[in-house]
Amino acid sequence: MLNLNNNSANIKREILVRIAKLELAGNLVKGVHYIPREMAPKDKPPFRCCVYHDREILRMRVLARLGCSVEEYDDDKPLSEYAEEALKRKKPTWPMLTVLHDACNACVRSHYMVTNACQGCFARPCMINCPKKAITVDRHAHIDETKCVNCGLCLQNCPYHSIIKIPVPCEEACPVDAITKDETGHERIDYDKCIFCGRCMSECPFGAMMDKSQLVDVIQRLMKKKQKVVALYAPAIAAQFKANPGQLEAALLAAGFDDVLEVAIGADICADKEAAEFEERMHRGDKMMTTSCCSAYVRAVQIHVPALKPCVSETRSPMHYTAAIAKKENPKCITVFIGPCLAKRREGFDDKLVDYILSIEEIGALFIAKNIDVASYEPAPGKTIPTATGRGFAKTGGVSEAVKVRLHDKSILKEGVINGLSKTGMKTLAMYGMINAGKMPQPADCPNLIEVMACEGGCIGGPLVITNPKIANTLLAEYVKNGKQQEKK
Amino acid sequence: MKKIKVTICTGTACFVMGASDLMLLKEKLPDELKNKVDVAGCTCMNECKGDKNGMPPYVKIGDEVMHHANVPDIISRLTELVEGK
Repeated sequence: MLNLNNNSANIKREILVRIAKLELAGNLVKGVHYIPREMAPKDKPPFRCCVYHDREILRMRVLARLGCSVEEYDDDKPLSEYAEEALKRKKPTWPMLTVLHDACNACVRSHYMVTNACQGCFARPCMINCPKKAITVDRHAHIDETKCVNCGLCLQNCPYHSIIKIPVPCEEACPVDAITKDETGHERIDYDKCIFCGRCMSECPFGAMMDKSQLVDVIQRLMKKKQKVVALYAPAIAAQFKANPGQLEAALLAAGFDDVLEVAIGADICADKEAAEFEERMHRGDKMMTTSCCSAYVRAVQIHVPALKPCVSETRSPMHYTAAIAKKENPKCITVFIGPCLAKRREGFDDKLVDYILSIEEIGALFIAKNIDVASYEPAPGKTIPTATGRGFAKTGGVSEAVKVRLHDKSILKEGVINGLSKTGMKTLAMYGMINAGKMPQPADCPNLIEVMACEGGCIGGPLVITNPKIANTLLAEYVKNGKQQEKK
Repeated sequence: MKKIKVTICTGTACFVMGASDLMLLKEKLPDELKNKVDVAGCTCMNECKGDKNGMPPYVKIGDEVMHHANVPDIISRLTELVEGK
């Protein structure tokens, strides 16, 4: 796994800060042209062949931060024109991801390779275990790539660990095989298959897979002050900054938002509904129900595991319910969800109640651009304080826990958790699909409430976070504990 | 020998640029440094104000300010200091 705060993540955040500063100063169109030059100055050693190459790649990265698709990049069109278009844009554009082909390494096809650690041994387990007879040994083992089917048995059986797998990180990370190479060896995303989990983005060592920012759009709304702008912050966000409860609300108000709502309030509504729905489903004899708050998961079922569709809870997501509260209070307000999640961008694209989705990186960049230090603000907690379990939604196990405490008879519950939709997670899903369709017997210990989180660890492990999940876990625990204390009052 | 104090800034700018990873410094210290270093967090040290001080995240090692800090760089500076350089 790549480090969360690696070079390419830091470059992305630096571009965001620069864009935010320029836009706030009313100088985005003029100033955006100079970002690549300032970030790759002549006196700094280039990362690629020369600073000019670096600058060209940076130019395309700026495009993604402006919310444009790099696929539409036109050499002759200056960044200022893209910036102008971004400022005029009425709503975010499809798709949520964009691939920077010029940064994509066009990694060689995933394959197995014999290294010179091979001893050319007498037992030859690689050769004997190869089901396709693709290996010959002539002092060293050789793999015939035309016969090899990438099963990996040679690697598993070599006593010298001399065989390695050379993967393609994004393809390896994609749980639904939505990424493949085009005729030039560069990667393409099939958006009919993509569930927007963001794993490719987190795992590409070249930073070629990028999300498209909506920061320019939101700053524009904050500056124009035509309509009230309401920040809806996900439970995972509270665990991203080192601050006391209520300080994040104060910082968001200082950043220009007119009102702030905790999405944990929507999580409480979601848990109430899911608990009632679960009781109803069990009463009518359903085999199982799964949670529905993770939109990458819901999309994964819709596209890839249709047999499980009837089991997905019909309850909408915490984001939806929180946005509904904001819009009920003021139908003309602009709702901005702030979260760690790429799939929420997909969900928000379809949800009329949600206008924009910001990532933690983006809100962090806005804070930096406005010189806001969250921990220095006087706490300004919201009107409604969510329960501890609502706040706990951000962590694996948190959603099923929230449902559990709301059940009248807890003994009917057998909870199960899928912690991360990796390729293995998808297989587990498929298995539940078979059980539900009656194609596989239902084991006695089969759970009847399955919580699915597309990201390991839950939302705090999301693709657009800034805080090491280990630290975020501690910060979230403090925030939840605080919720409990508030409940008692 | 007096312990060397490492202060990690947990202000917003530093956090956005990856300070949370530095908070794991304590558990990543090599054995020979473990008893010679004190690690603590602090609120914004104001190093980020103005452009002259380089990039966040900032860390104070004794009285020295390190900018654009990461765990390996902090450890190598600590090793130098312990060896009296």
